Amino acid sequence: MSAIEAHGLGKSFGGRPACRDVSFAVERGEVFGFLGPNGAGKTTTLRMLAGLFAPDSGTARVAGCEIAPGRPGGPELRAKVGLLTESPGFYDRLTARENLVHFARLQRAREPGRRSDELIERFALRAHADRPFAELSRGMKQKLAIARALVHDPEVVFLDEPTVGLDPQATREVRSLVAEMAAEHATIVLCTHHLDEVERLCSRAAFIAGRLVAVHEIRRETLLRIELAAPFQPDGVRALCRSLRLDGTTLLIEPLAEVPDIVAALVGAGARIAEVAPHRDPLEDAWLQLLAETDSP
Amino acid sequence: MIRVLLRKELLELRRSPLLVLSMISLPATVVAVPVGLLAWMVHAAPEQALAFIQELYGVRSSDWGVGGVASVLARNWLPMFLVLPIFLPIMLASQSIGGERERRTLEPLLASPVSTLSIILAKSLAALLPALAITWVSAALFCLGVDAVVGHPILPDSAWLFGTFALSPLLALFGNATAVVVSSRVLDSRAAQNLAATTVLPLLALLVVQLAGRIALGPPFYFGLAAGVAAADAALIALAVRLFDRERLLTQWR
Repeated sequence: MSAIEAHGLGKSFGGRPACRDVSFAVERGEVFGFLGPNGAGKTTTLRMLAGLFAPDSGTARVAGCEIAPGRPGGPELRAKVGLLTESPGFYDRLTARENLVHFARLQRAREPGRRSDELIERFALRAHADRPFAELSRGMKQKLAIARALVHDPEVVFLDEPTVGLDPQATREVRSLVAEMAAEHATIVLCTHHLDEVERLCSRAAFIAGRLVAVHEIRRETLLRIELAAPFQPDGVRALCRSLRLDGTTLLIEPLAEVPDIVAALVGAGARIAEVAPHRDPLEDAWLQLLAETDSP
Repeated sequence: MIRVLLRKELLELRRSPLLVLSMISLPATVVAVPVGLLAWMVHAAPEQALAFIQELYGVRSSDWGVGGVASVLARNWLPMFLVLPIFLPIMLASQSIGGERERRTLEPLLASPVSTLSIILAKSLAALLPALAITWVSAALFCLGVDAVVGHPILPDSAWLFGTFALSPLLALFGNATAVVVSSRVLDSRAAQNLAATTVLPLLALLVVQLAGRIALGPPFYFGLAAGVAAADAALIALAVRLFDRERLLTQWR
């Protein structure tokens, strides 16, 4: 069973749709990217999946808990998920440790004190654990917020913009923490508008722009880029490719056969080839192409 | 869960010396000013002033004397100690929901498996307990001060005991519940504080009218007030739970 299954989720505020028709599934142990520009409905979708909002339409199942219109999931769901909110949201006058233990207790963590100490140690916050939260740097605050999302060993972790507003050093630290969590097979939904973050950390990504546009597989293998000297319909070589994309005179191929065989097949079918080169498939291209292909809301 | 939330609230209060100071300043004034005034009356007031007060409050000739006048004045001051338990929790409770929003701690709180009732009860207790403690200490100091000035024990009498131990908790709950209701609807904590504070105005008006010698509030009034406030408390707590709209709190900023 998937960790998350969303079917046609929609939510409006004051008659203005925040998101609509959002459907996707996240497998257990998967790091799933949730991409979209500001105001696209990412946070609203996350809040629905984390049990904070009930959807206006659609249904979802998260960590075995049902979400439906009028039924936001309740305490049972909120105890099973961890949520990194956009802003760290701790109490300034309490120390880092006091804050973490407080939320560990609220989240019904087993042995809140011991678990908090364990995360403080793991996130390299021990030297700052007894300082008031207000005195911590932005990066430390964010690390503490990630620790809070994990403090009760949730089945699913939602990370909403984990690196926003961080300096490069803190960004690197937070990304390596997420990578560590991914290596431990945590189920993570990473909400961001940083494509490189998703490319680096996720296996798949959903693109959202008011409504769900597409779910995209993140490919790490190199593609084959073939520049054609003239327009050409490459249908004759589809059998040699796992996927094939034609953009003007640029052909992007995920090959099933050897490169010389593909080139020979194309030439045999009448294509005039100007250049053949390896190509990384940046998420940005896919994102821009999807936006161009799909009606924006 | 209530205990967890309450512990955090009290810890935060302990770390806010300015807030504690601001909570103590009004009770300190409410104790010091009338006790000082009584001391002046007992030791230095001219005969005409005592005669004026005797006439104003209808003190019988058999009661004549500084002690009798002081006793009447001290008893008339009771409504002020009923204002305290309303006003003090408002200072804390009006920050409860609005303050969490402003500090961006509301979303993590709502994302935890804590029920709405637990949040409201914990916030209420966190405002109630310090307010009641301050009220009771102030009332005790006032009674000791009056007795010391007059030279023999006149306070607490039955009205003071009833007011302090029965009415004060009910009024504190009333002030707090009002503040929580207002705080969960009016999303600016300062506006919430100002609005909730208006609930003390009827009692202040009664105090002024009583000090002016126009009425003398007796046991029937205080019993009636207790019954009315208890009913209002139950209704306000139920209303606070009903009005606590998680979505609205997280998405609206006005």
